Amino acid sequence: MTVIMRDEDNRIVLLCKGADTIIFDRLAKNGRLYEPDTTKHLNEYGEAGLRTLALSYRMLEESEYESWNAEFLKAKTSIGPDRELQLERVADLIEKELILVGATAVEDKLQTGVPQCIDRLAQAGLKIWVLTGDKMETAINIGYACSLLRQGMKQISLSTTAGDQVAQDAQKAAKESLMLQIANASQMVKLEKDPDAAFALVIDGKALTFALEDDMKNMFLNLAVECASVICCRVSPRQKALVTRLVKEGLGKTTLAVGDGANDVGMIQEADIGVGISGVEGMQAVMASDFSISQFRFLERLLVVHGHWCYKRIAQMICYFFYKNITFGLTIFYFEAFAGFSGQSVYDDWFMLLFNVVLTSLPVISLGVFEQDVSAEICLQFPALYQQGPNNLFFDWYRILGWMANGLYSSLAIFFLNICIFYDQAIRSGGQTADMASVGTTMFSCIIWAVNIQIALTMSHFTWIQHLFVWGSIGTWYVFIITYGMALKSRDNFQIMTEVLGPAPIYWAATLLVTAACNIPYLIHISYQRSCNPLDHHVIQEIKYLRKDVEDETMWKRERSKARQRTKIGFTARVDAKIKQLKGRLHKKSPSLTIHTVA
Amino acid sequence: MSVSGSESAASANKPKYSKFTQQELPACKPLLTPGIVIGAFSLIGIIFVPIGLASLSASQEIVELIDRYDEECVTASDKIGFIQDSKANKACTRKITVPKPMKGPIHVYYQLENFYQNHRRYVQSRSDQQLRDKDYKDPKAVAKACDPEATTGDGSLIVPCGLIAWSLFNDTYAFSVNKKSVTVNKKDIAWASDKNSKFGSNVFPVNFQKGGLIGGGNLNDKLPLSEQEDLIVWMRTAALPTFRKLYGRIETDIMASDEITVVIQNNYNTYSFGGTKAVVLSTASWIGGKNNFIGVAYVAVGGICLLLAMGFVVLYVVKPRALGDPAYLSWNKEAAEYSH
Repeated sequence: MTVIMRDEDNRIVLLCKGADTIIFDRLAKNGRLYEPDTTKHLNEYGEAGLRTLALSYRMLEESEYESWNAEFLKAKTSIGPDRELQLERVADLIEKELILVGATAVEDKLQTGVPQCIDRLAQAGLKIWVLTGDKMETAINIGYACSLLRQGMKQISLSTTAGDQVAQDAQKAAKESLMLQIANASQMVKLEKDPDAAFALVIDGKALTFALEDDMKNMFLNLAVECASVICCRVSPRQKALVTRLVKEGLGKTTLAVGDGANDVGMIQEADIGVGISGVEGMQAVMASDFSISQFRFLERLLVVHGHWCYKRIAQMICYFFYKNITFGLTIFYFEAFAGFSGQSVYDDWFMLLFNVVLTSLPVISLGVFEQDVSAEICLQFPALYQQGPNNLFFDWYRILGWMANGLYSSLAIFFLNICIFYDQAIRSGGQTADMASVGTTMFSCIIWAVNIQIALTMSHFTWIQHLFVWGSIGTWYVFIITYGMALKSRDNFQIMTEVLGPAPIYWAATLLVTAACNIPYLIHISYQRSCNPLDHHVIQEIKYLRKDVEDETMWKRERSKARQRTKIGFTARVDAKIKQLKGRLHKKSPSLTIHTVA
Repeated sequence: MSVSGSESAASANKPKYSKFTQQELPACKPLLTPGIVIGAFSLIGIIFVPIGLASLSASQEIVELIDRYDEECVTASDKIGFIQDSKANKACTRKITVPKPMKGPIHVYYQLENFYQNHRRYVQSRSDQQLRDKDYKDPKAVAKACDPEATTGDGSLIVPCGLIAWSLFNDTYAFSVNKKSVTVNKKDIAWASDKNSKFGSNVFPVNFQKGGLIGGGNLNDKLPLSEQEDLIVWMRTAALPTFRKLYGRIETDIMASDEITVVIQNNYNTYSFGGTKAVVLSTASWIGGKNNFIGVAYVAVGGICLLLAMGFVVLYVVKPRALGDPAYLSWNKEAAEYSH
């Protein structure tokens, strides 16, 4: 980053700060006085985990500045796709022949809770890569701090030799050397026999430019996937986006990018889910993201609690929506076969309008907003539950088609049971027969009851809101039909509930029968599934219901510790590796002990 | 990434806690235990089977006599010509023997088949405002609503307009039991709300059946629409192509093996479209008319539920799973498979 200004003596000064390798490339021959000392200091700072910058300056002549400024203005005011390129070229013209001043180092501590968060996310089964613009030493230090790297991990470093930017041959040579490094590393990983061995891949920005080229990127991706953690240092914002795209397209998995600065915007937009951390570095990341949080550690709650709930809610909502509309819509189609295919609907227009707007929409909304299969504490305590989402247990074709089949069955049951019950005989003890309005209103009542009882069976978490919406929807239907029946506009539905259907036992009998007939198959299905192959959240719900977590605390603790994906990163993995190491040493020691005692 | 600002700034930005926004509302989380499953199915079974048996027994007690007469009442080879001939003698005598005693009131219906009162254009062809308000004379609206039976040839309005009124059923039945005639009470066959609100007591038929074609029966010009109960019953369009409509009631009892003689005025033309006509006599119970279906359906569903309850009892005995058994958690199941 460069600033050109006039000082008090009216001279033009150019001040420049940036990453050390970039600045060192642009120094004049006589500006390298402090280069060896600065390099030593920078390495010390990097090993201490500090973020470093190099500072430099140059004095400019008036004429030199004038001519350059003219070019700069031209580039700034140009419109077109290559404006960026032009600006870069012009900046390049003046940012050279610099004199090195020194270096700065800033302690940028990790936020509170970051190592624990990374540990939990790893236990939930997520793979974590780090993409940073910092030096390799700083990045490795951060990696050790949050246990992405640990002692005992085999580190694979991919780098190209410095200073080979210009010559074509040199570039080709660098690329070939990188390809060789990747091939050797892949071979080493393949030949590794120990299942608990972990590899860490560290690659810097220069090597990444070659590794992301089309002919090498698949090799690079395959190697990276074998490693437990990947740290890319010295990456430019564009490379962050390219790496994200490589993972997204190469592996077909869902990617989430989290960042806090303007240099993370490209990556955040490229990933499937972008999370911005609002804080000291400004709001660009937040504005470009899908979700924004204020601290990194909230990412755990975002994914493991809200991500888990959201997945289940959306899956259930969509399946239920299909179910209820299939149930409702197909009955209208069946009636056409009996009405000469003339397009006459068996329901009044108002019923059809209100069906999706008032009478069945609110329970679904309450399901989508409030449903919790397990509480937030359980989600956090059992990270393995998160995997129900990535494994797509709740929105696979089996479930979708099952719900649609349920809708088809319900529509058949509702229609044909009602037609057969209200056939041609009298419906009241007074001998009156049913007309189309009576049959339509009864059929519609059956649909409302069946569909709302169905959602009550689906829900597992009933707040007062769910009760209000579900039972209220049924009640609203009756309030509506009585109110609608008071207006002459309702034609044949005039006073239908108060005069014709309400006092008719056959109406209530039909409603009860059809509601039961529609919901019994689903009840059978869930009863059988719960008893014979319960899912994890079913078992945990039962444990909580019977308070076994309070009675048998050891069992609860044991299950919580087992409920995680096998992972090689995070401090829990570090602890496990240490335990394994100690066990190994103990095992070696103990044969000699037994010999002693026997003797 | 550096630590965010001072404590007070952090707590100033923190959103206000409420149980609603933090999704911690108190909730009941019902659990489907084996007890509830068996209890639910048993309860449904225990409630449904008696209801089914009660409905079935009520339906079995109802005596229903159906006599189809349209084929046999017209002996001429050109049936359509016969029925359209206004001068022909359309009287037809039918004899029905009563198998079981019928307690009054006995309801008399006419039953039509293959008559689509639920066709969309038929259902729309009426003007409710005209039926209740004698001052409603907007010709454009009426013409649009009642097309094609809105006006006579010279443009004067028909009251009541529309295809439904135009196709009014006009067969009549005269009953005698064992050669003694019985009266059919034709009062209160329509719903009270129809008579009081939807058909005006000051609206009289005007130009009825004076359009190009005659579609059905005629109306008495002197009676207001609210007293024309046959019309009111007819205008309640039926749901299915096979339907019955209430004709009247016989208030006296009829004994078993009595012979009922019906003299039918076979006026209505169902021959042009292959429809059928029948006269039906039926008693009624608390559930209505004779239909075994509801009783059978209740017994079937109740029986299936009881079977399911027993089936689940067997399942829970044969393959018991202790509730909350952690061995069924997926990480333990995988370990068990792995060790085997």
